[in-house]
Amino acid sequence: MGEEGGSVTLLCLTASSGVPLFCRSLGAPSKHQLPFPVIGSLNGVHMFGANLDVLLTAACTTNTHVVWRVFHNSITLIVLSSEEGASDFALGRLLDNAFSAMVLILGLEELVNIRNIERLKKDLRACYKLIDSFLAPLERSGDLTQCVECVPVPHGAALQECLEAFAGAAESRFGCLVAGGRLALATEPWWQLAPQELLLLSWLVGSLPPHAARDYPIYLPHGSPTVPHRLLTCQLLPGLEACLICGPSPALHTVETELVPRFWKPLLEPLQACVSPQPHSLPHGTTLPPGVLAFLLIHREQRSSQSSVQPPGSGGEGLSPRCRARALRHFYALVAARYFPWEGSPAPPQEPFQAGFPHRARHCYVVSATHKAYAIHAPQHQLFLLLAPHVPTFALRPLAARTLQRLTGDTAL
Amino acid sequence: MKWPFLCSMFSVGRYSIPRPVTRNLEDLDSVQSILLHSDLEPEWLDSVQKNGELFYLELSEGEEETLLQDISSEVPAGNHVRFRENEAEVIQEGSRKERKYEPRLKKITKILKKKSLLPKHSGKKGTGGNDGHPSGPTSILKHQSTQKVGVIVQQRYKDVCVYVNPKRLPSAGAGGKLKLLEALVGIVHQSSWSSRRAEKQGEQDRSNKGINEEKLVVHGLVPGSSAIKTGQILIGDALVAVNDVDVNTENIERVLSCIPGPMQVKLTFETSVFENEGTSQQRYKQAQSAMNNLVKLLWGEDNMDLQLAIQGMPHIVMYLTLKLDSETSKDEQEILYQYPISEASQKLKSVRGIFLTLCDMLENVTGAHIISSSLFLCGKLVQVVYWKESDKLLVIGLPAESVPLSQLRNMITDVVRTLKFMYGSLDSAFCQVENISRLDHFFNLFFQRAVQPARLNSNSSPSAQQYDGCSALLLDNLPGVRWLTLPQEIKMEIDTALSDLEAADFAELSEDYYDMRRLYMILGSCLFYKGYLIGNHLPKEDLIDIALYSRHYCLLPLAAEQRIGQLVIWREVFPHNHLQPSEASGVTGYREPEARYFLLIVGLRHFMLCVLLETGGCTSKAIGNPGPDCIYVDQIKATILQLEGIDSSIEERLESPSIPCLSCADWFLPASRDKLESFTTPPILSKLQNTSKSATSTTSKRTLFTDSSLRTRKPSPSRSSGGSDNGSEGPEEGGGLNPLATLDQVQKHERKESQGFGGSEGSGSLFKVTKKKHTLPNPFHLGNLKKNLSEKDMELYNAVKLTSGPENTLFHYISLETMQGIFITPTHKEVQQLSGSIHPQLIKNFHRCCLSIRSIFQQTVMKEKKKNADSGSNSDSRKASSDLNLVREHGVLFECSPDNWTDQKKPPPTMTYWVVGRLFLHPKPQEFYVCFHDSVTEVAVELAFKLSFGLAT
Repeated sequence: MGEEGGSVTLLCLTASSGVPLFCRSLGAPSKHQLPFPVIGSLNGVHMFGANLDVLLTAACTTNTHVVWRVFHNSITLIVLSSEEGASDFALGRLLDNAFSAMVLILGLEELVNIRNIERLKKDLRACYKLIDSFLAPLERSGDLTQCVECVPVPHGAALQECLEAFAGAAESRFGCLVAGGRLALATEPWWQLAPQELLLLSWLVGSLPPHAARDYPIYLPHGSPTVPHRLLTCQLLPGLEACLICGPSPALHTVETELVPRFWKPLLEPLQACVSPQPHSLPHGTTLPPGVLAFLLIHREQRSSQSSVQPPGSGGEGLSPRCRARALRHFYALVAARYFPWEGSPAPPQEPFQAGFPHRARHCYVVSATHKAYAIHAPQHQLFLLLAPHVPTFALRPLAARTLQRLTGDTAL
Repeated sequence: MKWPFLCSMFSVGRYSIPRPVTRNLEDLDSVQSILLHSDLEPEWLDSVQKNGELFYLELSEGEEETLLQDISSEVPAGNHVRFRENEAEVIQEGSRKERKYEPRLKKITKILKKKSLLPKHSGKKGTGGNDGHPSGPTSILKHQSTQKVGVIVQQRYKDVCVYVNPKRLPSAGAGGKLKLLEALVGIVHQSSWSSRRAEKQGEQDRSNKGINEEKLVVHGLVPGSSAIKTGQILIGDALVAVNDVDVNTENIERVLSCIPGPMQVKLTFETSVFENEGTSQQRYKQAQSAMNNLVKLLWGEDNMDLQLAIQGMPHIVMYLTLKLDSETSKDEQEILYQYPISEASQKLKSVRGIFLTLCDMLENVTGAHIISSSLFLCGKLVQVVYWKESDKLLVIGLPAESVPLSQLRNMITDVVRTLKFMYGSLDSAFCQVENISRLDHFFNLFFQRAVQPARLNSNSSPSAQQYDGCSALLLDNLPGVRWLTLPQEIKMEIDTALSDLEAADFAELSEDYYDMRRLYMILGSCLFYKGYLIGNHLPKEDLIDIALYSRHYCLLPLAAEQRIGQLVIWREVFPHNHLQPSEASGVTGYREPEARYFLLIVGLRHFMLCVLLETGGCTSKAIGNPGPDCIYVDQIKATILQLEGIDSSIEERLESPSIPCLSCADWFLPASRDKLESFTTPPILSKLQNTSKSATSTTSKRTLFTDSSLRTRKPSPSRSSGGSDNGSEGPEEGGGLNPLATLDQVQKHERKESQGFGGSEGSGSLFKVTKKKHTLPNPFHLGNLKKNLSEKDMELYNAVKLTSGPENTLFHYISLETMQGIFITPTHKEVQQLSGSIHPQLIKNFHRCCLSIRSIFQQTVMKEKKKNADSGSNSDSRKASSDLNLVREHGVLFECSPDNWTDQKKPPPTMTYWVVGRLFLHPKPQEFYVCFHDSVTEVAVELAFKLSFGLAT
């Protein structure tokens, strides 16, 4: 989340003894590293309260938000964010994702029963990449929405069939194609994983350094937090990887040298098409109404999302893609935290603000100095749009409705 | 003569003003002369505290009777029963709970006891308090009586308060036993019956009492008597005590004959209450006792009922010092003030270390003050807000379920402002021992208001109460006062009266008359009627200060529902814009005088006049702690009395729908339409016909015509036509609309705005479509204003009465004029008229949504301010990034459907509506919130915003 004008610092400590495990930060270099006494007192103030049965969860100053959370009575995560528009909602999601990432890579057992702190510190280094990607999500929004980001696939049916066959041959039910950190295709059981797991897996694949093939042990934070599985990835094309979750067999070598050529070679062309529409993430032939700067479409049932901050036709005018992404994230956090019914896991520990509304919110818009934003909560989807400031306010609604129709009408998300 | 005595008592070392000679009296108007002639010592005189402060509240007798009996009755002429708030005495005596002046209730008990009629009655005493809750003490003596099989009957004691007036006894009723009981209280007791029954029932009672005294069983109630009015005394109950004095057939007459004058007495009954009946009664009481609660709270009485409701809730206010004296390491020395001291708050107190550490550490790390933090305790999320000033820290904690965080931040700002207004600085408020009991009262009110606003803002009707309840959270924290637009003549009258008062050239105050400097100069005044501001001659900052003060002490809701017999408040205040002259003031060479300021609030009936006085500038310096000056109080009273005549026209205004007329949400649901049709339209319409004096015959005919043509479809058109009818009053209400000045602004603004949202095309189409929409015959009678208004202006002007289209789709609105410190929103009456099942929900939803929208706007305003401050230093990159969230407009579309939809086959019908807020920063800061039906064309929404310019003066 670190962007200009703000910094984010994530601290990880053991809950019982307060020993710092790691500290990741992004943003202003002057505050790059918090001095040890500050870390100590940040943790101490929380521990003091916990001893008196008072759980300190958040604090904010005029420019900084701080959120504390303890996971399984063993790991304390603290985040300080001086970003514009940081909210308890977004920071809460960040902590949740960060801990799940630790579980994904190390397993819950090692985090709950800490035997050797020094070893744990070393092990945790493996999570840095993934956690850093949550701190700086750039143009992505899956971490906030907890919906795995998808890219539309041109020749979906053929590839899907091939994927099923590929997974079957590898004696696995869980298989998927990840294009640039976004999910392109997945077998049905893959979709049955928890939304957060889907998200973490594709972000993990995106964050790992490029390799032709990997055999990576993972723990599923919700499905099997203590028993490891193998995540096999094979690079089909640059930026496109086939992933499998499987047990002890088959060997990576078998998959890489036998199965991949057998199943995917014949489909090279459709695969190449998967990689190319990257920046737009729009189905072919779909155009958006003019004035749409960015969009985020959430498929509510599947907990998947599509988004783009550079849809075709939006041009380079106005905000930079980075700014658009930030504005869209901010808008999403605002609307999701205040108006639209709570979706996804986990439910917030506190009574959400929405509960106070006797009626249900369906649409929402914001007009600000640099952009306009509109959100629709439809039965199947949620759409969040960022629009150029020159779009008249009264035209926002029909425009958003049309966008939703175009995005959902001719594509089965 | 009292005056010399008074003055010497009040003003140490000040000249005493001799009683005016009467030769001049012909010149004064009659009201004044009456006041001056009355030799009566003002009733409030005894209540003036040692430091000169006064808080004196007295209800008119009618109100008091209703207050005590909870049932309204005819207003009898008679003397007043007075209650006093006597904190000064409390402080003098060094103990908090004691009172010098006991309420009458206790006095008579004393009288009775003095006369040694009976031994002291204790143990049996009910703890239900004065409010007469039947839920009083569950007696230890629980004997089962067998009146009905299967129903649990409990024997218990209940306290009932009745209002008795021995002076109104029928003169004829002479002789006969137990006459007073019947005549005074209205309880019929027949001795022969009771003796028989007592034999059966009261074996153990007899053993208690020893002698052959009979129980006073209620055999009947006299119609129209106070006893029957309470609705709580049931036949079969047995009267056991009067004001905690045991009574029986032997002594009851003697006891009752000791009642000297009209007063409230507490009757204790032994009763058999069916469980379910008890609860239903309680519910009835709850609605009724809200006013009770408020007045009691103001009088500073301990109200167990209210206290209990929030006792379990973790809430706290603390004033902590960050500088600790290391030498005297006393326990809890960092706590300078704390309230309340309850178990739930204890926990919050115990973690004050967190607050102090966070404040200190986060400031070091981030370089900014801490604002808030969230804690989980007792299964509740508690929000804590901070206010740091020098080395002191004010902390307020409240559960998030009762107050959202953004609102709590506003509340602490308001608390700090009010405290500074009252005491000058936080330090002087918190660090003086004599203030502690006052602060306890202050924060008791604060928490009551925050947690259960509905119970304090009582209103006669439940719907209005509900409106109050859901809007209080938002409206109480707006930087403005609820304003009521009034017809020009009335406004003029008010302004004239206020100006006359402010001129202060009445005889006693004229400098020539006594050849001495006057004591006070009146800086300005503002007039409230039923909690609405109707006249203001104060600068905005002063107005807000005073409004915050009166809001805090619930004076506005008090005046709204009850006729105040007399309210006199006097205290030294520290208005911050006088004491800390803003560097922004353009006038060079002007400096605020070194002066002291006093606030004088006088309330009579529904009026409340607040006056800010200055002393020490051009007037003589105040020495010591002067008390309220009778002359000023009387003058203000005279001003109110002089304005008394206008209350009928204000009432009329309150009754009639305001300019942008409103619709009820239920009308838009097809299911409920048929039901509502029968009763929603006619009363409003007829009322309109009466009130719109200015409607010429042609316009009214037209109105009726439009009405009938549209009414066939649904009732709402009649409302909109009603609105247009009312709109024809517009020109007369020029004060309320000020069309020329504001419209120009609108035009200008509109241009500016249109560039913001839609380019030139936007504003062009705006007018085109408006014209198209106006196919209805226009019943708008412009009168002589017509010449002055261009065609375009007219179109805009018409928008005031209608949202465009044949149906009126506006549900609710709030317009906040930050510049003037006022806001305008539909009156209680208007909201009351729009009853239904969905509409109250909608109102609640609207206000909650506004809270959210406003919190976003506040961020924008804050950033804007920061940007302006930063603009000197070049920080372009920063600016660009912070620009992202400068929200100007925010809207949410809500969907609702009827609650009890029984039809299984069809899905319930839905109704969708927008809640939209818009923030204007230029030309003057303004916030406007509207709630309207989904069917409104988007262009009409734009118009609705333009409307905001027409609402306020």
